[in-house]
Amino acid sequence: MAENLASKDWEPKIVAIVCNWCTYAGADLAGISRIQYPPNVRIIRVPCTGRINPFYIVKALQTGADGVLVSGCHPGECHYISGNLVARRKFAALKNFLSYIGMEGDRTMFTWVSASEGDRFAQVIKGVTAKVKALGPASKLKKKLG
Amino acid sequence: MENIETKLREETKRLLLEKKVDVIIGYEKGTLPLTATPCFITEPTEADKLVWNDLCTQNLAKFVHDLISQHKNSQKRVKPEDRKKKVIGVVARGCTTRSVIIHLQERQYGRDEVYIIGVPCTGYVDGKGLKTAINGADIVEGSIEGGQIKMKTSDGDKSIALKDVLADSCRTCRFNNPIISDVIVGQSAPAMNPDSEYNGVNEFEKKTTEDRWAYFTKEMEKCMRCNACRQACPSCYCPTCFVEQSQPQWVGIGEDKTDTQVFQFMRLYHMVGRCVDCGSCVAVCPMGVDLRKFLKKINKDCWELFGNRAGSSMEDMPPLGKYNEHHEKEEFIFNP
Repeated sequence: MAENLASKDWEPKIVAIVCNWCTYAGADLAGISRIQYPPNVRIIRVPCTGRINPFYIVKALQTGADGVLVSGCHPGECHYISGNLVARRKFAALKNFLSYIGMEGDRTMFTWVSASEGDRFAQVIKGVTAKVKALGPASKLKKKLG
Repeated sequence: MENIETKLREETKRLLLEKKVDVIIGYEKGTLPLTATPCFITEPTEADKLVWNDLCTQNLAKFVHDLISQHKNSQKRVKPEDRKKKVIGVVARGCTTRSVIIHLQERQYGRDEVYIIGVPCTGYVDGKGLKTAINGADIVEGSIEGGQIKMKTSDGDKSIALKDVLADSCRTCRFNNPIISDVIVGQSAPAMNPDSEYNGVNEFEKKTTEDRWAYFTKEMEKCMRCNACRQACPSCYCPTCFVEQSQPQWVGIGEDKTDTQVFQFMRLYHMVGRCVDCGSCVAVCPMGVDLRKFLKKINKDCWELFGNRAGSSMEDMPPLGKYNEHHEKEEFIFNP
């Protein structure tokens, strides 16, 4: 499998963990507005970015994701008032620590996309896919299955 | 040192006789030469067992939490009016009081359930460092006199300056005097060298990504997942640790090296705003994993991003439980 991944037509697998109220709706808007974006992203919907256990991100990387994107409401616009503000602190520490141990910084991405920003959602996915593609298949922290 | 020890014993006797505490957690002479081990004093007559020297390594806040949660569990099926309260006394240096503050902030027990005998600290001897310094010889007998460690070893008599074998976390300690206490024994200790505390981290940060990854994997390969670090850490007190959780199973239980890496990574990450750099995990690690290199980074980030030093004051609440809506570093946010 590893050989296939390194081949030319390799496409990255990206996990996007998005919040129900903003980014998921933003993704929906991108869809109904028929905005094109790369199909490499697998969306996981959670109630709020504050609900995301940092373990989700590490576990995704371990079980084969080439990149992880976390996206929620803009600061101050959280459906649960402060979920994303608490999450912002968690992720700031997590991202720093992941790059400290030697993971490529671009494999974990954090951003804000609101429900009305279908266009921004497409842009974010394009940007993240391009960055992860540039890095190539993930090898660090990745469990060899089978 | 002698002076502190006598005062400590007197204080323990007094507290137990006056029934102010039910148990005092302190250190006693270890079974091996040049070691001290935690002990639990419940009778005034036992107070003379207590020692205080440069060999007292473990962070005793761990046992405060253990005893109190054990006691609380035992009181669960007792009628509320019959419930007994237990007060735990603890011999605490700077880092131990910081851990107690973390427990208090995280509402693990009340301030009235713990009686803190504060002891100013001048650092403890790093057992592994000492072993390396004498080329792995076995210590048969040893004593500490006037800043010198004198030993009879399997390689003959040896003498080493105490300051050469101090634990890394003690060399750069910022809080060597107790932060909160009910009584303080001894004079306050001179400050250590806190300005250089992040030197190791700064150096490591300058290395390339690949070098850092190589170091991380090399260190984690040593780990055999005995969980000693978790058992010794005062901040690791979850009733069910994620390691043992089976639904979901966060970390695999096999030999896979990524499982070990993920376990260590997540345990380290759980220390954001909670690691007091007491060095207990490093001291108990049988494989000598360089955990401190990574923990220190977490401390540094915590200070630089959130302006927090774990347990440095009762008012400064844990950084991940609060936020600053408008003034927070946001460089890490991706904007296409």
